[in-house]
This record gives sequence, C-alpha cells and structure tokens, in this order.
Amino acid sequence: MIIPFFGHNITINLEVIVMTWIVFVIIIVLGALSSRKRSLLPRPLQALGELIVSLLYGLTEDALGEDYAEKYAPLVCALFMFLLVSNWLGIIPHLEEPTKDLNTTLGLGLMGFVIAHYAGIKSKGFKAYAKEYFQPIFFMMPLNLIGELAKIVSISFRLFGNIMGGSIIILVVSYLTYNLVLPPFLYAFFGLFVGTIQAFVFTMLTVVYISVQVK
Amino acid sequence: MAFEIEIMVKVAAYIGGGLAMGLGAIGAAIGEGYTAAQANAAVSRSPKISADIFKNMLVGQAVAESASIFALVIAILLLFLDVPVPTLLKATALLGAGICMGLGAIGSGVGSGYPGGQACTGIARQPAVTSQLTTNMLIGSAVCQTPAIFAMVVSLMLMFINFGNVPLYPTWAAYLGAGLSMGLAAIGSGYGGGLAAGASCEGIARQPKTATNVTTIMLVGQAVSQTPAIFGLLVSFILMFKSYPESTTLSASMALLSAGICMGFGGIGPGIGNGMAAEGAVRWVARNVENAGDMMRIMLVGQAVSQSTAIYAMVVSLVLIFVV
Repeated sequence: MIIPFFGHNITINLEVIVMTWIVFVIIIVLGALSSRKRSLLPRPLQALGELIVSLLYGLTEDALGEDYAEKYAPLVCALFMFLLVSNWLGIIPHLEEPTKDLNTTLGLGLMGFVIAHYAGIKSKGFKAYAKEYFQPIFFMMPLNLIGELAKIVSISFRLFGNIMGGSIIILVVSYLTYNLVLPPFLYAFFGLFVGTIQAFVFTMLTVVYISVQVK
Repeated sequence: MAFEIEIMVKVAAYIGGGLAMGLGAIGAAIGEGYTAAQANAAVSRSPKISADIFKNMLVGQAVAESASIFALVIAILLLFLDVPVPTLLKATALLGAGICMGLGAIGSGVGSGYPGGQACTGIARQPAVTSQLTTNMLIGSAVCQTPAIFAMVVSLMLMFINFGNVPLYPTWAAYLGAGLSMGLAAIGSGYGGGLAAGASCEGIARQPKTATNVTTIMLVGQAVSQTPAIFGLLVSFILMFKSYPESTTLSASMALLSAGICMGFGGIGPGIGNGMAAEGAVRWVARNVENAGDMMRIMLVGQAVSQSTAIYAMVVSLVLIFVV
C-alpha cells in the first residue's frame, strides 16, 4: 500500500502488518490462557508460562544483575516470545514470518539500541557515557560511532538473513523435489530449530548490549 | 550476435556451477575428516561405547555436510538453468552466484566439523551426558551454517532476480563484487563459529553442570563472530540493488569490483579472530562458571576490538561504492 506524505510516497507492507497482528493475538491468547485460574499446582499451560518466564528472568539476572533484571526482564520475555512466535509462524500454510521482512528486524534492532543507550546514559550520566566514545584516543570517535551503529545492522541482518534464507531454501527445494518428501523436515529444521536459536540469539544480544552499556 | 550472447551465458553458468561445487567441496570434507579422526581417538579411549560414538560421528558429519549440499543445489541449478532473456549481465550474475556459493561453503564446512569431533571426544570422557552433548553439537553446528545460508541467499538472488534494464557497464562488476564479498566474508565467520562450538562441546563434557551457561555464551560468541559475514551480506545487497549511471570507463567498474573484494577479504580475519575469542571464553567459562559474567563482557569487548578491522573494510567498501 502506498500513501503520499508531503511529497514522498510511504510504502506500507500490509501483509507484514497483518502477520505481526496475528503474532500479537497468539501471544496475548497464550498469556491469558496460562495466567487464568492460577493455582499452586500449575496446570500444563501455567507450568509452561512459568518455565519460560523463570528461564528468561534467570538469564537476564545473570547478565544484568538483580536491580536491572527486575526492570528489563519483562521486556526480554516479551521480545523473546514475539520473535519465537514470529519465526514459527511460517510453518503454518498461508502465513509468513514477519521477521522475513527487514523492516521488522531493523525496527526491533533500533529499539534494542535505543534502550541500551538510554540505560547507559541513565546509569552513568551523560558525561561518562559520551567519554567512552573518545577511548582510547579522541580521534577514534568516528570509528567508535560506526562500530556502535554497525551493531544495529548486524543484529537485524542476522535474524532477517537466517529466516529469509531458510524460507528461500525451502521454496527452492520444494520446487526441485515437486513438494514430495523433504519439505516437512526442512520446515522442522529452519522453522522450528533455527527459528528458536535465532530468537534466543537476538534476545541475548539485546540483553548483552544493555549490560555492556550499564556496566 | 544474439547467438554469441546465449553461448556466453551458458559458459558463465557452467564455470559458475563448476566453481560452486568444486570450492564448496573443500570445507565440508575437511570438517568431516576432523570429526572422524576425533571419533577414532574417542573409540580407542572407551571402546565399550563405540556404538554411541559412531552414531554421534555420523550425525555430526551429516550436519557438517549441509554446506556442501547447498553448494550442490546451486551447482545443479546453474547447470540446468534455463535463462529466458540471455544478456551479458546475466552471465556475470551467474558467474558471481557460483563463486559466492563455492567460497561461502568453505568456512562453514570446516567449522561445523569441530563441534562434531569435540562431541565424540566428550562422549568418550563423559558417557553420561551423551544426549546433552549431541544436542549442543547440533545447535552449534547449525549456527555455523548461517554464513553458508547467507551465501546461498545471495547466489539465488543473483540467479533469479530480474534486475530490469540496467546498463551493462559498470553493473557487471557490481554483480561479481556482490558474489565475492559474500563468499569471501563467509569463510572466516563459518570457521570462527566452529571454534566456539567445538570448545563448548569440550567444556560440557568436562563440567556437565555448566551446560546452560556454556551453551548461552557459545551462541552469543558465535553470533558476534558472524558479524563480518553480515557486513559481507550488507555490501552485496547494496551492490546488487543500487542502480548505477552508465559509465564505460574502467575505473567505475573496478571500484565496484574492489568494493566487493575489500569487504570479502576484510571479513576473513575478524571472523576467525572473533571465533578464537569466543572459543577462549567458552572454554574457561566451563572451568570457572562463577565468573561467567565477567568473561562474557571481556569476550564481547575483545571481539568488538578485533571486529574493528572488518568495520574499516566496510567503510572503505562503502566509500568505493558511493563516493568514487
């Protein structure tokens, strides 16, 4: 969809937005189901939810320390769940991974970048934060700046490239084998396995970027 | 004239297919050989569980093979591809696709042999954690394949995307440069990721209790080692999708070609170096898990410094593309 905007044309990928909304709905329903009728003896869904939350909380605590973990763990859980469901969405026919679009991953990467630097400025103060760019010598500033910006590129292209690559490979192999045998295994490998790993890597890297800034 | 162009496209496709499979066969074979060597050592150490070790070796080798299988798919596609509109531009794109996949499969192939070999040794040392080791090996070598997957994506794009009506000069150099940038940059990252995965299998066998920490730091280390390959991917995307004004001077073409070569070679060293940093961090986290947080921070800072050379290469490539 193309919208004119002050002389520029803004292109909006409706399909990606719809897929993102589907992911939202799935996560909200999962969250509602697993936190409904909570009891000391958890039912399967509650147990699953508690498992995911406590695992991610532990990981955040390891990297950030107790004080920050309380603040950032909800973000980390939400990010991981969103990426996981997004990467798995492609195994359902007619649905596509929102993470296959560079705009999604770039947006998430930018979000992580802004949060990390906000946390850095807040914990160290602006002066100490700005001083780090002039290490070890003042003229390294442009290169340090590019190095920071390159983190956004690397984190978002990693996720995008993996998911995109997986789906292209599935397409090509399905075409070559006339959809006969291999695709289910490939979906299991690229969709479930690689998707989980990359969701985890993206989440961990966001946490690590925050921890590098605050310490 | 039209006839000759058709032949040129065929020639490029055949050379590209040959290079894709020929170069692509190097890495996986070395990696699998390493796995088999370590499996032999492991069997001689504890012959009673030779069946388990043998099974693990085969699984590890099967994953290490996948980089070569990607190369095989590209080679077959290139050999039997039917080009609807043969142009000289398509010929260079096909050649670039073959080179990209061939070079891109080397690093991942060698690298993903390491976790397989270390997992075999580890099973001989700690038979109780066999299944944990196999899982960790599978995760590690699957992440090693990422650079090869990137190379395959670039190859397929070069082969199948119709770039429309663009001037032959200097776009031909951009396509060749895109292939070289991605293919060469994937070598270091694939190999470096393998070093980290191998160390994690060794570490888990030594200290099974630390498995969660070791796997986490392995994944982070591998992800950062892949950054040079991602820079290569970025430069090849820019080279493929930017449109260039027509220019028959040789310097314009060479600027694009050397932009690809610069990023490609510039990515090899940082990939391996980052892998070594990750390998060291993973190995020592397994032995001293209390200080895992400190080690992860030092690993990341060290990797960022060793990555700076890849960033210099990327800056020079971008200058070559956009300024010169």
